[in-house]
Amino acid sequence: MLERLKLAWVVARKDLLLEFRTRTAILSAVVFTALVLTVFNFGRDPTAVPTIDLAPSILWVTFTFAAMLALNRAFALELENHALEGLLVSPLSRTSLYWGKLIANLLFVTIVEAVGLPLFVLFFDVPVWHVLLPLVGVIALATVGFVAVGTLFSAMVIRTRFAELMLPVLLLPFLIPPLVGAVQVTARLLSGRPASEVVGWLRLLGAYDIVFVTLSTLLFPHTVDE
Amino acid sequence: MTLAQKGRWTTLVGLVLLAAVYVRALAFTPIERTQGPAQKIYYIHVPAAIWTETAMILVGVASIFFLFLKDARLDSFAEASAEVGTAFATIVLTTGPIWGKPIWGTWWTWDARLTSTLFLFFLYIGYLLLRGAVADPGARARYAAVLGICGMVLVPFIHFSVYLFRTLHPMPIILKPSAPALPGSMLATWGVSFAVFTVLYVGFVMQRYALARARQEVPHA
Amino acid sequence: MPETFPHNAGYMVAAYTVAAVILVAYAVSLYRRTRNL
Repeated sequence: MLERLKLAWVVARKDLLLEFRTRTAILSAVVFTALVLTVFNFGRDPTAVPTIDLAPSILWVTFTFAAMLALNRAFALELENHALEGLLVSPLSRTSLYWGKLIANLLFVTIVEAVGLPLFVLFFDVPVWHVLLPLVGVIALATVGFVAVGTLFSAMVIRTRFAELMLPVLLLPFLIPPLVGAVQVTARLLSGRPASEVVGWLRLLGAYDIVFVTLSTLLFPHTVDE
Repeated sequence: MTLAQKGRWTTLVGLVLLAAVYVRALAFTPIERTQGPAQKIYYIHVPAAIWTETAMILVGVASIFFLFLKDARLDSFAEASAEVGTAFATIVLTTGPIWGKPIWGTWWTWDARLTSTLFLFFLYIGYLLLRGAVADPGARARYAAVLGICGMVLVPFIHFSVYLFRTLHPMPIILKPSAPALPGSMLATWGVSFAVFTVLYVGFVMQRYALARARQEVPHA
Repeated sequence: MPETFPHNAGYMVAAYTVAAVILVAYAVSLYRRTRNL
């Protein structure tokens, strides 16, 4: 188990190193996040609708788009020079490969979210300090959920003709439980609702994460093996 | 008789029986007092919804067995059930709003059944698109199986999300017909309709399965 | 029969028609695709 995690980290490190040498994807994601937040800001009438009503949805739409950008590049790297075959014939286990990709994607999306959240607070003047820890917790829970499924799907989608289009189409239904949960919890946190209201959603998010990380780990070998 | 022929006959029987259900529902089943004649849409809408979901579960089950047994027939069944499920989902998503408009006053309501079916519909479309987008037959079957299993596992999460959402945002009216607390004659009509939809599912799947198997034998370019 | 219910039979007819059209259309589509099988 520990060996697998170490190998997974090797895969993740490779991806992250490659990414940080070029920095293109992460920069695009960050710029994109800022762009989306700006557009939403100019699109609303602050006197008509209180920010606090729209804020959770805006935040999560932004994070979801950014996650899609990250996932799209997840296996694209391996397509060049048949690097994927190289990975597969190595003694690397499929589980380690999946976990490595998952970790890399999570870190990537986390960085984008870490930039996006302060921008969001800044642009929309939303008070988050008093609920920062639970908010970060919810962000983490939801992100793990859709990145886990997204990593699995991106492995399948790279072999299709319209990969960048297929991924969001396939992923959409799977985003609903984590996104709805995340938006509901975020809304309640930001408006200072009692914790008891969010327990159900948090359980949903937690269960979703456990189930789909496990399922994706189990199914991943079928996306790369004959 | 070939499987496709049996499927055609089954479908024909199903359609004839459907006509009988129509007559029974429209002419011989009492009108519900508060909702009026529009309530009768329920006899078509709900059986279709049940089969939409059941078809997805069957896709998932067939996919699990396929990944273990590698039998191409299981993959063909999954393909067939997915397409038929999509057709039934279309019925739910069209009859639902037509029912919703006179009852709730709006075409779309985030009602539990309609919302779940909408996401099932997206799942089906994704599944069919994935099958169409993968050239290699071996990869296609495996990928479809992976997606099918994930889809099946997702279904309870969608239900739970919708349930949580609704308990915190209660809908103005709780529609009684959601639970099978119908008086005798209405329950009978519902039951017969459900049986007919079952026959239609079987007939459709038989034909679509035969088609999938035939394509496996002579692979398209 | 006491006329106490809302008059929305038009919706009922519409829904039943739409459902029938979808089912028959799908049956026809399957028939044409499996004709030779």
